[in-house]
Amino acid sequence: MEFLDEIKAKFPNVLESVDGSNENESVLLLKDKTKIKRVCKEVKNHFDILFMLMAVDKPPKIFELNYVFSSYKTQNILTIRVNIERDKAVIDSISSLFESADWEERETYDLFGVEFIGHKNLKRILLPEDWPGRPLRKDFEVTDEVRNWTGLDLKF
Amino acid sequence: MRSGTGLGLISNFRFMEKERNRITINIGPVHPSTHGVLKFKVDISGDTMKKIEPEIGFVHRGVEKMAEMKYYSNFMPIADKLDYIAALNWEVLYASVVEKALKVVIPPRAVYLRTMMCELQRIMSHLLFIGHSGEDLGNTTLFMWGFRERELLMDIIEEVSGGRLAPMYISLGGMYYDLPPGLIPKLASTLDIIEKRVKNEYRALSYENGLFKMRTVGVGIIEANLAIKYGLTGPNARASGIKCDLRKNAPYLAYDKLDFDIITADAGDAYARFVVRVNEILESIKIVRQIIKDLPSGEIKVKVPWIFTIPPSYTFVRQETPRGEAAMYMVTDGGQKPYRLKIRAPSLYAVQAMSEIFVGGKVADIVAILGSLDPTPGEVDR
Amino acid sequence: MEEIKNNEFSYPGLGEIIFMKTEKFIEDVLNWGRSRSLWPLTFGTKCCAMEMIPFGATKVDADRTGTLFVGDSPRQADLILCSGTISKKMARRLLNAYEQMPSPKYVIAVGACNISGGLFHDSYNSIAGIDRIMPVDVYIPGCPPRPEMFLDAVLILRKLIKENKIKRYENGVLGRDKS
Repeated sequence: MEFLDEIKAKFPNVLESVDGSNENESVLLLKDKTKIKRVCKEVKNHFDILFMLMAVDKPPKIFELNYVFSSYKTQNILTIRVNIERDKAVIDSISSLFESADWEERETYDLFGVEFIGHKNLKRILLPEDWPGRPLRKDFEVTDEVRNWTGLDLKF
Repeated sequence: MRSGTGLGLISNFRFMEKERNRITINIGPVHPSTHGVLKFKVDISGDTMKKIEPEIGFVHRGVEKMAEMKYYSNFMPIADKLDYIAALNWEVLYASVVEKALKVVIPPRAVYLRTMMCELQRIMSHLLFIGHSGEDLGNTTLFMWGFRERELLMDIIEEVSGGRLAPMYISLGGMYYDLPPGLIPKLASTLDIIEKRVKNEYRALSYENGLFKMRTVGVGIIEANLAIKYGLTGPNARASGIKCDLRKNAPYLAYDKLDFDIITADAGDAYARFVVRVNEILESIKIVRQIIKDLPSGEIKVKVPWIFTIPPSYTFVRQETPRGEAAMYMVTDGGQKPYRLKIRAPSLYAVQAMSEIFVGGKVADIVAILGSLDPTPGEVDR
Repeated sequence: MEEIKNNEFSYPGLGEIIFMKTEKFIEDVLNWGRSRSLWPLTFGTKCCAMEMIPFGATKVDADRTGTLFVGDSPRQADLILCSGTISKKMARRLLNAYEQMPSPKYVIAVGACNISGGLFHDSYNSIAGIDRIMPVDVYIPGCPPRPEMFLDAVLILRKLIKENKIKRYENGVLGRDKS
């Protein structure tokens, strides 16, 4: 695919192709997480929106972020996969490039605790501010204590 | 049922702070209209909205975590309740993800039945939208009518599956049951009734009614580039003149064998969104009629065991639900449960875009615009 | 009261009997009135709310039982129809709405989620049954229940009100109604 070669040509040593399951869905592995913003700027020439952002917790060391981009004109899907350290989960925000990344990043921050540098309103979105823990991490167990808690001690 | 129009809204207003001419008011979280629990923090100056901040998460149930705790087949009833107005669409989507990862090909009759169920659900969802917009604008007759026609299809769904709102009809590998005898003629006559009423009765009360137009024309305009910026899809984007419909552009199920059009409008206001949905009902009726005509016979499912494992893989599927492009991204690790299931809810982006759509509008139009965007908090919050 | 129970002078006199009978009569009349005009606060959050709306629409017409959906304000309501999963973020708001309602107030818990957690009983953010935070008079089972079951629940609630079997909070303690 042309756009794939173009994007890869711009960042020769950083991006690496991963076998996609479908011809419309291509996956690129980004080796250097500090380059995410520059790569996304290049991606913006070919794709319209951040379709979704999926974080996968892979204990004990890695958070895997999957940025899925889509376009209105073509039916191509591009996934950019980045691995970041689990204990220092920090990455540049791309919400200034893609508006739809705003809430996706807040959600990832809310449920996983990944911090996005440069996000203008990084706070919890689905859960209240004082909710204890990051529920979608693999080490968060849904115990009876969590289930029986009524949440009445939460602030408004 | 005369809720949501006047009293409910005013009672939820809470005056927070007052600086010069600006007042901050809270609207919600219970019933800003009948669309569920959303909250808006609005800065108003006079009667004009200056800044709006939507807040979500009031029905967050942690569906993505629950998917990691359940066997593949056991997640199906929860997929039902993601978007409870379009339950069958989400059932089909989840089944498609698992089947794609499992490399199962379902028989042609099941493909056609699934397509039919998706379209019936789309008609029901849009009828509910029509009823709700009527109620939001204070038109109770339209509300009653929308629900009257929806009940007719509810009866069909109930006859097919045994459930009304959460049918649990789609199983992994096909469908649970075949259509009951005598359903097809009943369905055909029901579609005739709905088509006649949508074309004639609704016209007088809604899309060609002067009062209705006064409330909706030119209200809540979404330009095409604003829709693209926030990633709006589905009828909301199509009302802004964007020709995006996965059923046509990236056909799945049996859509490539069916004849239908992408409905678009140019204005991008609340009225255009209403008209697009009304026309989509007629288009869906057309699709269902074609399916009835060439419904293949044969098996309705391939056998998939209740508990099974999927080798490590990444699976991505997206489909068109009544609210837009929904997607599921599933990561498996070889176990009996998904390792991670990410759900893309189209309404989430519509709610996010509200912070820009509402600016400059009047407070009284909040409910009209919110209703025209048709978000479902169930899928926004997951 | 318990001290003078065995005292012969503790038996009520004629005046007191008339007073008690009158009080009981007035209470009965009031309950009769209350049971026939329930104004619900529709606290709908999720799927069950979608079945609550047909309850007010044409096919199952709630107005026949005097259940008028007049406005979603807790201040004018005496029945709270709590339908849909209540999350931990929503619990405080539900209780707040409940506390704002004027005193003889009744609760109908709709759906499996509000009875025991139902489908979402092992979720980290849903409350497994709203009777953990407030007294419930009538439960409607189902996931989601049919609109006709709402009608049934309202009829049962009317019977309970007439027979004075309503649960109430008294000084923060859950107890049955006196008399």
